[in-house]
Amino acid sequence: MALDIDRYARTESPLQRWDPRVKIFSMGLLILAIALLKTIPMALAALVLALAILGVSALPRHFLLHGLSFVLVFLAPFFLIMPFTYPGDAAFSLLGLPFAWEGLRLATLIFLKALAIVMVTFAVFGSSRFDISMLALQRLKCPKVVVQMLLFTYRYTFVFLDEMRRMHTSMRARGFVARADMKTLRIYGHFIGTLLVRSFERTERVYKAMLSKGYQGELRLLVAFRSEADDYVKAGVVILLAVIMMYSDLNGVLSPAEEGWY
Amino acid sequence: MHISEGILSAPSLTVGFAGTAVLAAATMRNLDMEEVPKISVITAVFFVTSLIKVPLGPASVHLILNGLVGVVLGWRAFPAIMLGIILQAIIFGHGGVTVIGVNALMLGGGGLVAYLVWQQRHRFSFKKREFVFGALAGATATLFSGIILALALVTTGEAFNAIAATVLAAHIPIMLIEAAVVGACAEFLQKVKPDILAGQQPARQAG
Repeated sequence: MALDIDRYARTESPLQRWDPRVKIFSMGLLILAIALLKTIPMALAALVLALAILGVSALPRHFLLHGLSFVLVFLAPFFLIMPFTYPGDAAFSLLGLPFAWEGLRLATLIFLKALAIVMVTFAVFGSSRFDISMLALQRLKCPKVVVQMLLFTYRYTFVFLDEMRRMHTSMRARGFVARADMKTLRIYGHFIGTLLVRSFERTERVYKAMLSKGYQGELRLLVAFRSEADDYVKAGVVILLAVIMMYSDLNGVLSPAEEGWY
Repeated sequence: MHISEGILSAPSLTVGFAGTAVLAAATMRNLDMEEVPKISVITAVFFVTSLIKVPLGPASVHLILNGLVGVVLGWRAFPAIMLGIILQAIIFGHGGVTVIGVNALMLGGGGLVAYLVWQQRHRFSFKKREFVFGALAGATATLFSGIILALALVTTGEAFNAIAATVLAAHIPIMLIEAAVVGACAEFLQKVKPDILAGQQPARQAG
């Protein structure tokens, strides 16, 4: 499971060198623009743009593919269900089911947009150390408490994942096999309960240690954000592209504007 | 269980973020610094255990456990689940960045409903009380999230009605699984470490 999103944050590329505050802000706007697109040509353009951003980011391909595989699985049902259930005229019948092109178009649009957005998100958070991204969020006026909790949770996730794997191994060593029955579910309930209790007690110890080292509820890093001209140039390019995409999507400059489903 | 990126319209996304902001502010009032690690731990466990697959016939389903978060954290379940969703969106691309609001409302709201159900246990007194109310909490949380998910799809457009119906139907087995797991977990915690559970009352004197 690729949980450490920032594994390749040290690779050199224009994306990695970008001031995280400016990067998160401008890419956030781009993501919002992509989410609201209604036409397939523009969604394709967004996907190409996302691919270009990933290309610039120099993140290894296997790392990306792993992250994107989930999106593919998640969106597959849309392709299976939407073309056959779209209200209105069916183009033809497939295995006795009415097939509507409009449904397929809708599923494709959703797929393209989702893929593009996940790719951009990957590029943003994969290209900075996680704690630095979080500090950048804090500078962008995200509440301190939220940032603290995100950092804690991120750290604990790895610890608990290891713990869960150990517990699972020992469970299997004692002969546990997951079946579709009540007993399995009860065992899972107890398993999760044990994980909760263990994690809880560990955290109490960690928290006391943090307090004794002077923790005051705030992240302090020896990182100074510096934004220079080229940081803003990159942001300008991204935002300009987002605006162009939105504009031509709404007015049909590059593609005929279509009635959306909303 | 998430709404994916790229489906909902701008108004729905806005409603999601606005509702989440309001609920987050309300449920995070008077937050102690000491609570921050506690909430984070539960979020991390929630995050990690949602990777557990439960066999179901030929397929398998992932646990959701938002009801369990309600049973353990009470009102603070909302911020916990919201954080889990933010992390899932930025690390996995589960759900997505623009749907963080809607997903937080859907799953976090389920956590809050679960807490309300869980609190009703004080009105009763029988041997399997924690199991029964834990199970009810787990089931209602899933049901609530399923209904919100279906509503979000239906209000998006007629084309999504069939998907919404499929989603709702798929929630019935998940509901039963969640009920069994959360019930067993609540019963276990009551025995092993009762002070971890939300809304505990001081033990009544025997006699």
